[in-house]
Amino acid sequence: MLTSFRNLFAPPRDLILVIAAIWIGLWLAEKRSEKHGISVNDLNNIVFFPLIGYILGGRILFALENLSAFAQNPQSLISFNLDLFDPIGGLAIALIVAMVYGQRQKLSLWPTLDALTPLFAVFALGLGLAHLASGSAFGKETSLPWGIQLWGATRHPSQVYEILAALLILGLLWFQKSESRPGIYFLTFAALTSGSRLFLEAFRGDSTLIFGGLRTAQVVAWIVLAISLYLLDRTSEKFISKMATRSDG
Amino acid sequence: MQLIQRRTIYALILIASLAWIFISADRAGTSTAGEIPAPRQGFLAPDFTLQSLEGETFTLSELRGQAVLVNLWATWCPPCRAEMPAMQKMYEEYNDQGFVILALNMTYQDTPSAVLPFKQEYELTFPILLETNGKVATQYELRSLPSSFFIDRDGIIQEVVIGGPMAEALLRTRIESILE
Repeated sequence: MLTSFRNLFAPPRDLILVIAAIWIGLWLAEKRSEKHGISVNDLNNIVFFPLIGYILGGRILFALENLSAFAQNPQSLISFNLDLFDPIGGLAIALIVAMVYGQRQKLSLWPTLDALTPLFAVFALGLGLAHLASGSAFGKETSLPWGIQLWGATRHPSQVYEILAALLILGLLWFQKSESRPGIYFLTFAALTSGSRLFLEAFRGDSTLIFGGLRTAQVVAWIVLAISLYLLDRTSEKFISKMATRSDG
Repeated sequence: MQLIQRRTIYALILIASLAWIFISADRAGTSTAGEIPAPRQGFLAPDFTLQSLEGETFTLSELRGQAVLVNLWATWCPPCRAEMPAMQKMYEEYNDQGFVILALNMTYQDTPSAVLPFKQEYELTFPILLETNGKVATQYELRSLPSSFFIDRDGIIQEVVIGGPMAEALLRTRIESILE
């Protein structure tokens, strides 16, 4: 079944799924953006401009990191090779572009993040499907009956766990009752996603390890979870005091 | 939810998560990447023995200690043709540092008589191996031509590039990485 799924798409199959997820996620986000006070136009722009920044920034930073290779063959800069790319650098540029756009358009942080949350949730689902299609983010070896044959061993279907968790989070958020406190929608997504990553990383066979075997992704996820819960708590407190002030007035 | 109730739940979540991080720590470093042969970054490159156009036998595992680029290609495939000059240039530049190219012609889905003229046309000096029964293509889960596997001196795949043509800068960065 896994092989059939992986054969459905020609390489780069993971990229096709990620692009499809961005498109569907944006379409879903558009449906609710006005509710968060963000216009459809601003929503599209805050996705489109950072995306351009990601693509160009990732390539330019990769070229700067490998200057001698590009100096000998400058036309490689416009090559279609997806591997000539620095994803972390691209992400940093995308964030900078998003912040600059947000500031110039005077977009409030929390409502904007709330409006983008459906996109983030569908993107997480698309990422899981992309991992399944490419066989990356693979699980550790197991003898459990639902183990899958991948990369020469029977492994935890970590990509399937990832997809199920993303589906669950998307469902929970989509059918969550209307929330008037700005930021709650995004912070709930951040807390649920970091929590699921923290739990599911334990079944991965490709974790980067630190400090005698701790999984880096779990440590990062714990920090994100702690920040999300702290901000959720603070947002709730602020909202309660605001409501109390209003009723007193 | 009451303030104290909520904060207690949040604190319990964080404590339980922290415990899970320590319980699920991989102290033995049990990742099997690097031990099992699989056509995937971080895994041991699946071994094969094939004959070159000239009849010489090449076994991948015998090249341990050298950095190897295994390139799966066919004469009818335009991106395969397009990347050959850059591969030849890199081979000439890095061969003396221990870099080898094994260009596996997918002879079982190619015209065998076209391979030698192709080699002569592009003046290729690296070994062209003939994959006549599709066994190596299956081992390497070939789904698209060209497919390239950059293998380090320990026989571990460091990078897989599906499709092409590979830009010269891509070849250069990856070759320098596997030569380290």
